[in-house]
Amino acid sequence: MALQTLSPGAESTLVIAPMLIVLVAAVGTLLLGTRPRARAGVSLAGGAAYLIAVAAIDWYVVLAPDAPGAATYQVGGLPAPFGITLVADGLSAFMLTMVAVIGVASLVFSIRVLPELDRRSYYFPLFHFLALGVTGAFLTGDLFNLFVWFEVMLMASYIFVAYYGGPQHTRAAFWYVALNLLASAVFLLGVGGIYATTGTLNMADLARRLAAPAAYGIDPGPVVGLLGLLLSVFAIKAGLVPFQFWIPTAYRAAPPPITALLAGATKKVGIYAIIRLSFTVFADAQIGVDLAVPIVGTVLAGDSPLAFIGAALFVMGTASILVGGLGAVGRDSLEGVLAYSSIGQVGFIAVPVAIAATTTVPDVRHIAIVAALVYALNHALAKGMLFLAVGAVRTATGTSRLADLGGLASRSPLLAAAFFIGSLSLVGIPPLSGFFGKFLVFDAAAQAGSLSVLVLLLAGSLLTIAYATRAWNRSFWGQRTSAVEDAIADPVQVAVLLALAVTIVAVGIGFEPIYRFADAAATAALDTDGYIDAVDPNQTVSGVDGGSVDAGAGGGGGGGETGTGTINTTDGGETP
Amino acid sequence: MTTVIMRTTARIVVPIVLIVAISLLIEGHNLPGGGFIAGVLTSTAFVIVYIAFGLDFLERGVLGRDVDPGKTPSRDRVVVAYRRLFTVGLAIAVGSGLVPLALAHPFLSQSYVVLEGVPLYHHLEIASALAFDLGVYCVVVGGLLTIISVVGAE
Repeated sequence: MALQTLSPGAESTLVIAPMLIVLVAAVGTLLLGTRPRARAGVSLAGGAAYLIAVAAIDWYVVLAPDAPGAATYQVGGLPAPFGITLVADGLSAFMLTMVAVIGVASLVFSIRVLPELDRRSYYFPLFHFLALGVTGAFLTGDLFNLFVWFEVMLMASYIFVAYYGGPQHTRAAFWYVALNLLASAVFLLGVGGIYATTGTLNMADLARRLAAPAAYGIDPGPVVGLLGLLLSVFAIKAGLVPFQFWIPTAYRAAPPPITALLAGATKKVGIYAIIRLSFTVFADAQIGVDLAVPIVGTVLAGDSPLAFIGAALFVMGTASILVGGLGAVGRDSLEGVLAYSSIGQVGFIAVPVAIAATTTVPDVRHIAIVAALVYALNHALAKGMLFLAVGAVRTATGTSRLADLGGLASRSPLLAAAFFIGSLSLVGIPPLSGFFGKFLVFDAAAQAGSLSVLVLLLAGSLLTIAYATRAWNRSFWGQRTSAVEDAIADPVQVAVLLALAVTIVAVGIGFEPIYRFADAAATAALDTDGYIDAVDPNQTVSGVDGGSVDAGAGGGGGGGETGTGTINTTDGGETP
Repeated sequence: MTTVIMRTTARIVVPIVLIVAISLLIEGHNLPGGGFIAGVLTSTAFVIVYIAFGLDFLERGVLGRDVDPGKTPSRDRVVVAYRRLFTVGLAIAVGSGLVPLALAHPFLSQSYVVLEGVPLYHHLEIASALAFDLGVYCVVVGGLLTIISVVGAE
């Protein structure tokens, strides 16, 4: 009797489908207890269903000719901005697709890489909870809810980093937990501050209020600093310098399929959060930034917080490219090389985001976001596949130290082929997906007319070639070592790797639809009004203007009768 | 073994704690309380029993089972039961969210029924949120007690 809720339409139900599928899969695998085969079956079924649900979102919400572009879901039927809104728009769908591909691959891989003993523990339920956290973070339209999904994701990843329970795993987990607890506290502080400043945490409502602060009677000044807090938290998740130090130890400690997921999916949550908050939510904020940087002597100025975000991201991104590239050249294990490489690659994603934030030309901003997204997709596919390949090498030879490896190419040509394609894609050789990622990033930098950025990107690319070649030469070419001599690669693992390799080639050859998708994602990321409309069409910014017009016509206290039902119409009426 | 004072106090306090916990669980959907805090309070009652009477008291003294002290704590029957409680609680919570979906309402929608003329109460309100709270309660009790018994035994 109290259910006064909108009956959700089909598209709307689709939005929550991926989340429910992983949730049910997580609980299902827990309920199955100690039956490993049934657990693996339920996990795979969940993964397949997830893939289908995400593909359905991609088509019906974003790519179909008559697609709405964005669909929302009000959890519990409570209306926005009070209830929790889930929003699937182009950007979310693009990210979800990335996660679905790499997630299913590493799920199939997991079934083969773990010995029987591991399968009886909580591996699969935790895997699904990790996926749940990532999915929730991509779909939510509420800042506090984003915090909750971050926590869900982190709780699962804590256990995975400590999964093997040895001394170095415990040490890695200790640092990882300590750093992320600190980050969570900072995140919560930022979220609390934003609520205190603006009176809302719904992202669409937040964007609307910040675009017209006077109409809502708020002083948005503190938001810039609070956004800085949030940015640092997301940078920790993405592993940007100076927050990169947890990555090598954590990636080495976690089981390989999980490392693939950490690099391919949870890192992208940090990138996604930066793009979503900076461009969709804070881009139109009416806050003048005028900040003198003491040491360098430059002055950051602009009429939105983007000027500040852009500068910070630019420094972090370029530093990441250099630190990651230089670090990867000197590592002595495959995981070490790939972990440092992923620090560098995230720099390649952050730099175009920084270009998008600093430029004032809409076209350049758009192309830069597309570049960041395509690069992120390539990194998820290639790096995820390479980490899985390291898992396969470890299953076959029992080691991943470069000194103990050599001659794998002749021992297992298919595994070598997959690794080769992954490395080439990382370097950016046409026609692989990595080529378009690199090309678009360079294009964005060229269009922004920044020579120094181009030089930095070039240096980073050269470093990529150096460490990719070195890892390949040391482990796949040369004399076979004793570990390699008896190595037998698992056929299912190699099949998963080859499937991912084919995907990478296919993305490169059939790039047109991928570009269209990334283009739609970038449009969604930059379209603040569209986002607000999708979430909460009744309370548009013009509704506030209408309120003030009404107040003028009706005189004095007539501002409250605009019929839109906003809490703030009275404030709107008092402004003129 | 702890002192007589401790054990006597535990005997009196534990039932009170449990009753308060259950009342918090039942009224939690529209008054202060709820599944989480009720679960924590229930776990506290168990912790008092553990402190006053030792870790094996529940199985040996209350359930009348034999316990061999050398076993790994995580394979104890009572710990297995705690873990099952955790899983079942999670299933209840998720299931209670899925039911409205089957009735064409959004995920996690809640409703309530007011019953008039009930003996003793006259006016009784039954909320669907109670099912979710019960799930949370089971998750918290199961999770906390698993941790406490395993870590406590070590």
